[in-house]
Amino acid sequence: MAIITISRGSYSKGREVAEKVGSRLGYAVVSRDVLLGASEQFHIPEVKLVRAIHDAPSILDRFSHGRYCYLAYIQSALAERAVNDNLVYHGLAGHLLLKGVPHVLKVRIIADLEARVAAEMKREGLSQGQARELLLRDDAERRKWTQNLYGVDPWDASLYDLVIHINQLTVDDAVDFIVQAASRECFQSTPESQQKMEDLALACRVKAALVKDDCVDVAVTSQFGNVMVYTKQGDRRSHRLEDRVKPLVKRIPGINHLEVRTGQPFPPEAC
Amino acid sequence: MPQLTADMILVMVMIGIAVFLFIVEWLRVDVVAILMMVTLPLLHLVTPAEAFSGLSSNAVVSIIAVIIIGAGLDRTGVVNRLVGPILRVAGSSQSRIVIFISLTVAGISSFMQNIGAAALFLPAVQRISKNLKIPISKLLMPIGFSAILGGTVTLVGSSPLILLNDLMAPFKLKPFGLFDVTPVGLALVASGIACFVFFGRFILPGGKGEEHSPAAEERQEENQVMDELGRPWELTTPQDFTHYREPVTVDELRRRYLVNVVALVEPPDFKILGPAPDQEIRSGVDMVVYGQEKDVRRMAQEEGIALKEGLEVFKGELAEHASGTVEAVVAPRSSLVGKTLNQVDLAERFQVTPLAVYRQGITYRAELGQLPLRVGDAILLHGTWKRLELLHGEGSLLFTTPLDAEQLRPEKALFAGIWLAVALIMVIVFKIQLSVCLMTGALGMIITRVLTIDEAYQAVDWRTVFLLGGLIPLGIATEKTGTAAWIAHTVLNAIGTVEPIVLLAVIGLLATVFTLVISNVGATVLLVPLVVNMALAAHTDPRMAALVVGLATSNSFILPTHQVNALYMGPGRYRSVDFMKAGSVVSIVFLVVMTAMLYLFY
Repeated sequence: MAIITISRGSYSKGREVAEKVGSRLGYAVVSRDVLLGASEQFHIPEVKLVRAIHDAPSILDRFSHGRYCYLAYIQSALAERAVNDNLVYHGLAGHLLLKGVPHVLKVRIIADLEARVAAEMKREGLSQGQARELLLRDDAERRKWTQNLYGVDPWDASLYDLVIHINQLTVDDAVDFIVQAASRECFQSTPESQQKMEDLALACRVKAALVKDDCVDVAVTSQFGNVMVYTKQGDRRSHRLEDRVKPLVKRIPGINHLEVRTGQPFPPEAC
Repeated sequence: MPQLTADMILVMVMIGIAVFLFIVEWLRVDVVAILMMVTLPLLHLVTPAEAFSGLSSNAVVSIIAVIIIGAGLDRTGVVNRLVGPILRVAGSSQSRIVIFISLTVAGISSFMQNIGAAALFLPAVQRISKNLKIPISKLLMPIGFSAILGGTVTLVGSSPLILLNDLMAPFKLKPFGLFDVTPVGLALVASGIACFVFFGRFILPGGKGEEHSPAAEERQEENQVMDELGRPWELTTPQDFTHYREPVTVDELRRRYLVNVVALVEPPDFKILGPAPDQEIRSGVDMVVYGQEKDVRRMAQEEGIALKEGLEVFKGELAEHASGTVEAVVAPRSSLVGKTLNQVDLAERFQVTPLAVYRQGITYRAELGQLPLRVGDAILLHGTWKRLELLHGEGSLLFTTPLDAEQLRPEKALFAGIWLAVALIMVIVFKIQLSVCLMTGALGMIITRVLTIDEAYQAVDWRTVFLLGGLIPLGIATEKTGTAAWIAHTVLNAIGTVEPIVLLAVIGLLATVFTLVISNVGATVLLVPLVVNMALAAHTDPRMAALVVGLATSNSFILPTHQVNALYMGPGRYRSVDFMKAGSVVSIVFLVVMTAMLYLFY
């Protein structure tokens, strides 16, 4: 009756924890599945999606909206899964993609750097120096990506309900903690929180459809099916956007009312 | 046979200039009338006293008084109460409203002066047009014409017919009875109304040709906005509405269903108008929301709230005279620019409810509170007129719809009614001159504070006053110089001896032309002796010839010179061309029907 997002670095045992939590609670476990789902849904080769979430946006990306679009797809795909509740998502930024939904338990799993280096050396057959360098670069890239897109540092513990350091605590300990936390009342889905989840999914659906239609630099919110599309464009272009947005009311089920807003700052909860 | 003099030619030139200016509209019609008022004494065609005698004439003073009485009735909501039953009977179809009101007006005007009947209905018609969003130009002309035609139904309906028996007395002809003209009159009224019902679309302005004008588009847009906003609905929450759930607030209903709660009951029976967003909605209470039908029905279904047929509990509070919807535009340099409606908090400060924001062709209904306002944004607000007036006074919003209904004084309705009755009794029972009776009523209303003297002055339409006042000296000049007599003699001599029906038709035509320029009384006084002599010479019934004059002097539709047409020209936003178009059709039908009826019946 909850959604659990597990943010993890590479070689931090996060995947293992997630799968164990999933099997203990009988929840679906999703990670790269989401990306694959998105890929089927939007006909985007998986490689590009992986790149989108991994490398920090470079200067070039300011001119092409590639990564921005792919993120919209990923968020939409994740939200689509999360609507069904009882989900464990592990990977980067799950907690950021599902913001504003009350019954999401946000967990971060970190591991001791030395242990991660050892694990990487073993799996990839690298030298200690190489493995350490690769891990640090990977960490830095993920950090940069999150900062770039959401303006927050993934290492900021205040973003999570639970940060578990796998070192003294084992994977099973972590699973125990997470399962216990997930059973707390505040993480149980209620009609109100489920409504918020559905609104988020709807907003993501609208945004993905808009992005696919080359409408970038938009933010979408939904409240009880009343969808608001925010744009920073001027009035004249917003009229054009309006023309593109209106047909969505018929195409996407669940939209009660749809409006385009200009000259208004994007609300923080918008996707 | 009078001789053609220079003065006669001059008068005909002046008439020609007046008609020409009416047609080309280089000057507005009332300015043309003032031009006549000034030029005629300069040319020594009338004395200076005669030139301005029009302003003090019975007709003009009556019009001034009756407009004031009408304003008083409107201000006190009496008109509203009259309009209600009319609309219930007539429905909302334009044709049926036209038929119904036209028949009523014709009925009234058959016993009293046309102008009185027409003026009394003016506020009612204006209100119907506003309420039902029918262009007023579609309603006023048919009703005005019916008021004129109604004057032909009885022998006391219009001044020419009242005079007729007196004018025939010297010839020792048998006088007409009160209802002798009724069959002809009824046929004329019926044919006049039929003209508008069948051809109204083509002959009335504001029809097909005008649909693409900016004004029409604006109207359409306005209607569209109102469609999007929906209408008020009254609902009752069930007894278990608040059981086992979080409190439902006004704001929540608005966010969830896009409906605006504009009034609700706080138990036990405290009525709140323009509730604050955090106002809770209790169990078993009545409330009124503004919203689109689909949204309101969805809310009623999902929340289990019972939807009523119409307004019941809040019928009084939300009646037209107490509250309404206005469009307020954010003024340049207004303190509201850049602020959101949440920051401005109109609901808390003024107890008015913003229903929608209209910006550059887009209507915003959702999350209005977060929308930063810009110069030129139109906010649709619902509230009581009193509250809206307070907001108006603050000056940050420009109201595009005047708040006239705000000054309603329903508590004075009784006085308004009494003074109207006094005026009517004086007219009908004591046979005192119309202008004196009506002025008494108007004065009574002012003294009993139904309306202030300033409001009375503002209500008077000076266009009408000067249009009528200025044309009266033209009529005087035409008669005084003998022009009218000369024309009548010339025409009647020219036709010689003809079939009776042709003679009657020519007399009718002549009377029609005369009544357009000189007053109908003047035309009657001039023509009756002439045509009686003509008819005797041609062995036609002289009574019929006199009756033709009496009736055809009411056939004044082509120019806005008849009092009723002059009165309706301003409020109906008519141009001379509109009268020519519709008037010529009705005039021709009038002549044909009148001649045929007289020929068949007598």
